[in-house]
Amino acid sequence: MRSPREKRPAGQKQYYRRKKVCKFCVERIDSINYKDVKLLAQFVPERAKIMPRRISGVCSQHQRQLSDAIKKARNIALLPFATE
Amino acid sequence: MPNYEIMFIVNPNAAEDEVDKINAQIESVVTAGGGQIQKIEKMGKRRLAYEIRRFREGHYVLFAITANGNIVKECERRLRVIETVIKYLSVRIDDEVRRFEKIRSYRQKRAARRATGRGAAPSGPSVEEAMQ
Repeated sequence: MRSPREKRPAGQKQYYRRKKVCKFCVERIDSINYKDVKLLAQFVPERAKIMPRRISGVCSQHQRQLSDAIKKARNIALLPFATE
Repeated sequence: MPNYEIMFIVNPNAAEDEVDKINAQIESVVTAGGGQIQKIEKMGKRRLAYEIRRFREGHYVLFAITANGNIVKECERRLRVIETVIKYLSVRIDDEVRRFEKIRSYRQKRAARRATGRGAAPSGPSVEEAMQ
């Protein structure tokens, strides 16, 4: 996709995408724990897959911690592997 | 000795005192091996996210212990043998605690610096960099 700043041919609508920010950096959430289902569930959409970084905007360090936590939570049946 | 967390799920049809019995058993394994129990938390009956052995819910129990790896191994073996336990998970939590401490001390230092030199202190590296 084009970056919003790039020049576009006439006729195309210009739009600005809001900058995504990492929830964990902004809200200063230090520990991403596998027991915190409420927090993790925000990053597990309906299909029960882990939400990719390009959609959630989470930074790479936190995404790594997050995916670890989600996988642990799945193991102990706090989160689903897949929707049935 | 490292810190571990052991979480397990007990059959939902088991009575409360059966859960207590399992807890006591695990507790004795840990203390007999020279470990310490930090916390035993009964998280109560919860719905499982997926079916395990045809059960849709279970009693969750969480142990936080300080013990050696072989004690944890023994606990796992016991949990495997007990039939009312349908699932268990043991996690070492040292790394996470250490990271948490590091970030907190960094943040305190930064707050202290800001309090002394009003605005004179340059903005240090971000929290994400400190996590590396």
